[in-house]
Amino acid sequence: MSQEKIRVTEEIDAAKPSRGFWSDAWQRYRRRPIGMLALGFVLFLTIVALFAPAIAGTKPVICSYKGDLYFPCLGYFNRSWESPIFTKDKFRGTYPKNLKQKDPESWAVWPLVFQDPYRRVRENEWPGRRENPSRDEGHPNRLNLFGTDQYGVDIFAKMVHGTTIALLVGFVSMGLAGSIGVLVGALGGYFGGWVDMITSRLTEIVMCIPTLVLILALIAVVEKPTIWKTMAIIGATGWTGIARLTRAEFLRLRQTEFVMAARATGAGSLRIMFRHILPNALAPVLVPITFGIASAILIEGSLSFLGFGPPPPTASWGSVLNSARSNLQLWWLVVFPGVGIFLTVLAYNLVGEGLQEATDPRLREAKK
Amino acid sequence: MVAYLLRRVLLGLVTLVVITLMVYGLARSMPGNPLTVQLGESDPSRKLNPEDQQRMLEIYGLDKPWPVGYAQWISKVIQGDLGRSITRKQPVTQLIGERIGPTVLISGTALFLTWFLAIPLGLYASARGGRIDERFTGLVLYALYSFPTFVAALFLQIIFAVWLRDTRWELPLFGMSDLSSDAPFFARCADVAWHAILPITCQTYVVLAYNSRFIKANLEEVVRQDFIRTARAKGAGPWRVLVHHAFRNTLIPLVTLLGLSLPALVGGSVIIEQIFTWPGMGRLFFESIRERDYPTIMGLTLMFSVLTLAGQLLADLLYSIVDPRVNVE
Repeated sequence: MSQEKIRVTEEIDAAKPSRGFWSDAWQRYRRRPIGMLALGFVLFLTIVALFAPAIAGTKPVICSYKGDLYFPCLGYFNRSWESPIFTKDKFRGTYPKNLKQKDPESWAVWPLVFQDPYRRVRENEWPGRRENPSRDEGHPNRLNLFGTDQYGVDIFAKMVHGTTIALLVGFVSMGLAGSIGVLVGALGGYFGGWVDMITSRLTEIVMCIPTLVLILALIAVVEKPTIWKTMAIIGATGWTGIARLTRAEFLRLRQTEFVMAARATGAGSLRIMFRHILPNALAPVLVPITFGIASAILIEGSLSFLGFGPPPPTASWGSVLNSARSNLQLWWLVVFPGVGIFLTVLAYNLVGEGLQEATDPRLREAKK
Repeated sequence: MVAYLLRRVLLGLVTLVVITLMVYGLARSMPGNPLTVQLGESDPSRKLNPEDQQRMLEIYGLDKPWPVGYAQWISKVIQGDLGRSITRKQPVTQLIGERIGPTVLISGTALFLTWFLAIPLGLYASARGGRIDERFTGLVLYALYSFPTFVAALFLQIIFAVWLRDTRWELPLFGMSDLSSDAPFFARCADVAWHAILPITCQTYVVLAYNSRFIKANLEEVVRQDFIRTARAKGAGPWRVLVHHAFRNTLIPLVTLLGLSLPALVGGSVIIEQIFTWPGMGRLFFESIRERDYPTIMGLTLMFSVLTLAGQLLADLLYSIVDPRVNVE
C-alpha cells in the first residue's frame, strides 16, 4: 500500500512541474480580458509599424525591373535602402508610370493604399486617379480614408508611417531611460554609502527640473533635432522614477540569503548585481518602463505639437496635430491622430497595469 | 525639530545650487544669444553689427564664459535681485508677478476642483468596488487619465469654438480677455472666467482621473487590514468604516501627492497655456527659452526648484500631523 502511495505522489509530481515566476505571471495576465485586448492592440501597432511601407506608400513593395528584383518600399525606412538604379534612371519618386515606360516587361506588387506620407499624390500618378484635394477640401473620402491636410498629403499614410515613429520613440527612449535608471538605481542601492548619496542627489536634481522645460532646453542645445536626438533626450530625462524603484529593490534584495550565498561563492559585485539581484528585481522595474513607453509617446506628441519635434519630413502623429492648430475647421486632422495617440497611450498603460497586477504579490492577494 | 529643519534646508540649498548651475550652463550653451535670436528672426536687416553686439553683450555681462556669468547671477540672487529680462526690459520679479495671477487662477481652480471631486470619487469607487457602475466609472477615469491634454484641448476647441459657434454654448478659442481694461470690473471678471473654462477643464481632468485612482488604490490596501475587520465586527456602519477608519489612514500618500502638486500650482502647464495663449508662467518659460532670455529662464528655474523642494519638505512635515506615529527626526 505504501508502495502504491509513493507511486501516486511520484506521478503527481511528474505531471505538474511547478511553474516559473514568469509563466505564473503570464497565467495571471491572461485572465484579464482588458489587458489581453490592450496587448493585442500593441501587437497590431507593431505589425502596422513594421509593415508601414507595404500598407501605405507610392513605392512598390517588390518589383521586377530590367530583369532584377527590387524592394523600393524599404526607402521609407532608410533612403539608402532604395536601390540607386531608380535615381539613375530618373524615377523621381513616381514609380507606376516610369516602371512601365522604362521597362515594359516590368511588374510590381503595390502597397495596399497608394498614398504617400511625405507628398501630395498628383493627377494620373496612378493611372486614372484624380489628384489629392488640398486646403480645406480634403474631407475623408474613398481614396483618402482619413482625409488630406492643407497641402494635399494623405493623413492615412501619415498615420501609418507615424506608427513606426511612435513605437520607435517608445522603445528607444525607454530603452535608454531604463538602462540609465537601472544602472543608477542599482549602483546606489547595492553599494549604499557615498555612492548612494551621489546617485540619490543626482536623481533628486533631475526630478526637480520640470521635464518638459528640461527637454525643451536640451532640444534647443542640440540645434537641429532629428527623431533620434529627440528620442535620446526623452530617454535622458525620463529615468528618475525607474532609478528610484530599482534602488529600493536593490536595497531590499542585497540583504537576502541568496546574495550572501553568491558572495560566499566568490562572485564579484557586478556579477551579483546583474546576474543575481537584477533578475529578481525585474518585475517591479518593468512596470514603470511600460508606463514610461506611454509617457514617451505622449512627450514626443506634445513636442511635435509645440513645434519642437523632429523637422517636417518626419511623419509623426503630433506633427499632424500641430498642422491642425492653425486650421480647426479640418476636424479630421485632429480626430484621427488624436485618437491614435490616445489609444496607443491607453494600451500601454493597460498593459503596464496588467503587468503590475500579475507580478505584484501584494495585489495578487487582494484579488483572492 | 529645528536640527531636522536646518539639515533639510542646508541640503536643499546645495541641491538648488547644482540645479541652477546645470540649467545656467544649459541655457548658455543654446545656440545664439538673446540679441541675435530676437532681432535676427523678426527682421534680418535689423541685425546688430558686430561692434554693437559686442558692446551690448558686455553691458549684459554675456561676453564672459558662463561659469563667470553664473557666479555673477548667484551673487545677485543672494542679495535678493533676480536681474532684468533682456528681451522684455523689465525686472524678472515684476515679470513673474504679472504672470503668476493668471496661472494661479487656472491651476488653483483646477487643484481645488481636482481634490474636491477626487476624494468622493475615490471613496465611491472603493465602496462600490467591483460592481458594474464602479467598473464603468473606473474605465472612464482610466481612459481620461490616458487622454493627452493637447488632444483634449484641440477637441474642446473644435467642439466649443468651431461647431458651437454663434450658439449660446460658444466658448472663446484662446486669450484671457476680450474686453479693454476700462470695462466695468465685474464684466471683466465674468469675461476672464468665461475664457478660463476650457483651460481649467483641460488641467483638471487628467489629475482628477489620476488622483481618484490613487485614492482608490490606497483605500483598497488599507481596507484589507485587521483593524478594519475589527471596526466592522464592533458594528460600525460601512460609511463610517470607510471614511473614519480607512480613509484617515490613507492620508500620508495623499499628503505626499499634495506636496508634489505645489510647484505645478505656480508653474502652470506649458502645453495648456501655449494652446490657449494664456499669459501665465508656463508660457513665459516657453517664450524665455525660445528668446534665450537667460535672467528669466533662471528666475523661473529657481522658483520652480524652490517650490519643488519646499513641497517635499512640507509633505514630510505634514506627515507627523496626519500620522502622530511619524516622527520627523
